[in-house]
Amino acid sequence: MSLKIVLDPDRPTTLALEGRLDTHTAPELDAALDRMLMSAGIKRLIFDLGKLEYLSSAGIRCFIRARKILEPEGGKIAIVNPQPAVQKVLDIVKAIPAGGLFKNIAELDAYLDEMQRKVREGD
Amino acid sequence: MSYQATAQRLEAGAARDADELAARLAAGVDMVIRPIEGGVRTVAHQLEEVDPPPEQYAQRIRGILNAWPEVYGSTIAVEVRAGDPAARAFAPYYFRRAGAIAYSDLALDSYGYSKLPWYRRAADSGQPVWSAPYFDAGGGETWMVTYSVPFFHRNPDGARVLAGVVTADLDLEWVRRVAARVRLPPFTAGWLASPPSPHDFVTPIGTSDSSGAEVVRAAAEGMLSKGGTFGLMRRQADREASYLAVRGLETLQWRLMLVMGRSQLLTEARDVLRRQLWLGVAGLILLVAAISFVATGVSRPIRRLAEAVGGAKDGDLDFPLPEPRRDETGVLTHALLRLRDSLKLHVQMRAESIAAQTRLEHELEIAASIQQSMLPRRDSQRLPPTLRVAAALIPARRVGGDLYDYFVLRDGRLLFAIGDVSDKGIPAALFMARVSGLIRVLGTAGESPERILAEINARLAEGNDACMFVTLGCGTLDPADGRLRYASAGHEPPLLRRSNGDIEEIATDNGAAIGIEAATEYRAIELKLAPGETLVMFTDGVSEAVTADGKQLGSERLGRLLVDDDPEKMVQRVIDALNDRSAGMHVDDDLTLMAIGLASRERREFAPDLARDGVRQAMAWLRDMLAGVLDPARVSEAELIAEELLTNVSRAAQGRGVRATVECRIGVREVMLVFRDDGAPFDPLAQAAPRLDDDIEVRDVGGLGIHIVRELADHVGYSRENGENVLEIRLNRKELS
Repeated sequence: MSLKIVLDPDRPTTLALEGRLDTHTAPELDAALDRMLMSAGIKRLIFDLGKLEYLSSAGIRCFIRARKILEPEGGKIAIVNPQPAVQKVLDIVKAIPAGGLFKNIAELDAYLDEMQRKVREGD
Repeated sequence: MSYQATAQRLEAGAARDADELAARLAAGVDMVIRPIEGGVRTVAHQLEEVDPPPEQYAQRIRGILNAWPEVYGSTIAVEVRAGDPAARAFAPYYFRRAGAIAYSDLALDSYGYSKLPWYRRAADSGQPVWSAPYFDAGGGETWMVTYSVPFFHRNPDGARVLAGVVTADLDLEWVRRVAARVRLPPFTAGWLASPPSPHDFVTPIGTSDSSGAEVVRAAAEGMLSKGGTFGLMRRQADREASYLAVRGLETLQWRLMLVMGRSQLLTEARDVLRRQLWLGVAGLILLVAAISFVATGVSRPIRRLAEAVGGAKDGDLDFPLPEPRRDETGVLTHALLRLRDSLKLHVQMRAESIAAQTRLEHELEIAASIQQSMLPRRDSQRLPPTLRVAAALIPARRVGGDLYDYFVLRDGRLLFAIGDVSDKGIPAALFMARVSGLIRVLGTAGESPERILAEINARLAEGNDACMFVTLGCGTLDPADGRLRYASAGHEPPLLRRSNGDIEEIATDNGAAIGIEAATEYRAIELKLAPGETLVMFTDGVSEAVTADGKQLGSERLGRLLVDDDPEKMVQRVIDALNDRSAGMHVDDDLTLMAIGLASRERREFAPDLARDGVRQAMAWLRDMLAGVLDPARVSEAELIAEELLTNVSRAAQGRGVRATVECRIGVREVMLVFRDDGAPFDPLAQAAPRLDDDIEVRDVGGLGIHIVRELADHVGYSRENGENVLEIRLNRKELS
């Protein structure tokens, strides 16, 4: 019963979380986030929760903390693939603002494309 | 009665005993082997009717090994037909090795089963057959005999063609050990022998000296060929005359031989007689001495009488008495005559009743030990931890007609059965043995309870000349979800004890008792056993026990005895109550009671050490408590609730020692979690709900936890009791799907 944090070199701003994110494992995620957020300019930090089985408020605190660090620099966080049990907790606390929660990577990509298109047309 | 006559009578009695002992020992062996034969034939019959794919053969072979610990190995070997892809060589062999079940493939070319006698003889004759003793090289790797039963399939054109052979092996080393364990009377030697064949097998019964077996065997074969079973024979070695009793076994086609030395028998008889008479004669002498003391000097006839009695030799009750006179001494003489005659009668009757009693004891000893060995032993099987099974069987006589059995199937379900044969004693025990074996075979093969009843009925109703029948209840219980399937053949309906102590009678779809009508179908009922609930089955010996008021106990009053949660205690309490003769209980039937329950995890408490790894331990404890009670997603939510609440308590304590406990109560409709801590008074429910908008701050997170708890629980309540914060959480139980 532990947390595994998987980093994909092809997607440098994606953290895939596996297992349980609770009081005991949240500090591990905080430490990983601190290392990652040292490099400035991250526009979008993505948490892939496809294999996360358990999430408590301590884990949500990590997500909020990441938001608070990124937002002053114009960055955002996105959560993809939450499984039903985790989705239920996210729904209860509404900790992820509208436009930050995606069923899967494809939906996220589509959203990002749309945003880029809008930005270009806006230019 | 002369000494000679008495000795002759005793000798004749002992010789008759030897003859009967041979018959009974033979019947005892048959009693063990016959159910095995029946079981193998049943498997063969099933292969014909059901025609399962070969992948399922292993399961059925294991069923045979599971049903009879006596069987060493078993296989289903497929008949090979060139050009038919469905009839390739296939023969998985399972056998016992070092306490486990080992596997061997007999279909290898090096083994070539289709040419071996155990296969060939059954295949060619089309009949069940026992093999001669042989060493199974490449298979069981031991000396054995094999019972082979052919099975057939129907061609599309309706012709019956051989499909293969089902077998069961007996390890001859096992036969040797079992035979050595039998206790024979003094001066008796015995042997068990296969029919003459290339590799004869002869083993001594009991601690018999194995020398001279060949002479005895030759004499026995001679006797059998003339149709005799008993007679005198002379051993050439010592020229001593011996009695020889021989029996052909009905099952193995083997012989059982007993030899009893005649001279030793006579010595024995003489000793017995002397011991018997000594007491009688001593009594007579005392009596006459007393009389003569009173009458000394009064009457010479009395003294003569005394001399006559006193002169009687040891062991001789035919001493002469003077002619009775027509006075008081004549009355005394008549009294002495009557005393002498009744003493003679007494001695004779006593000798006969001792012999009869010994015979009966021996017979019952064999049957009782066989029957006891058929009951399941809890320590011999691993039951899932949540299952609680307890049972008791108390026969009214040495052997009974009741039975119960339970064992865990490969898919983890428990198969259980309880039954009551219509008769008592040895015939009922034999009938019961067949039923027990069939339950094991059919149960292990994965048949449903209602099919098991129908199959057993089909077997036993055929040729049931004794018109015996058995009521049988049979069911399966899945410990994972409490799903219970139960079918009944004329058996008493079980009782269900709810976790709150309520007792209900289960309405079964009761069919006819087994053994009455061959084509009977049975239907099962389904219900769900919740943790803490217990299914109680019993035979009519329990419900028809007569209580102090002269009425039968009945299932309603039986229900009132079921006050214990724990099946073990429950069974013990009922048995104690039925055995309490001081309370006026009267029982004259076999008593069998079986209780099966899912462990009640009703109310448990856990005190996590929050300074250490307490939160995590509490979560793990709760996960174990609720597994199978709530569905997995809901269990995970209960963990989440525990984590949020205990983390809050721990954080509020800020390093000061706080004692916290978690209590878990599992009810029929809900689960209650009660969190207590002796920290400062704090009502988390009184706090404002966190602002759930985009500006949520990290410091709001404590409020988030309690918000999650309120959303997940069906009800949350706070109170301050005895210096503790008490937070009660209710989680409703939905039907587990």
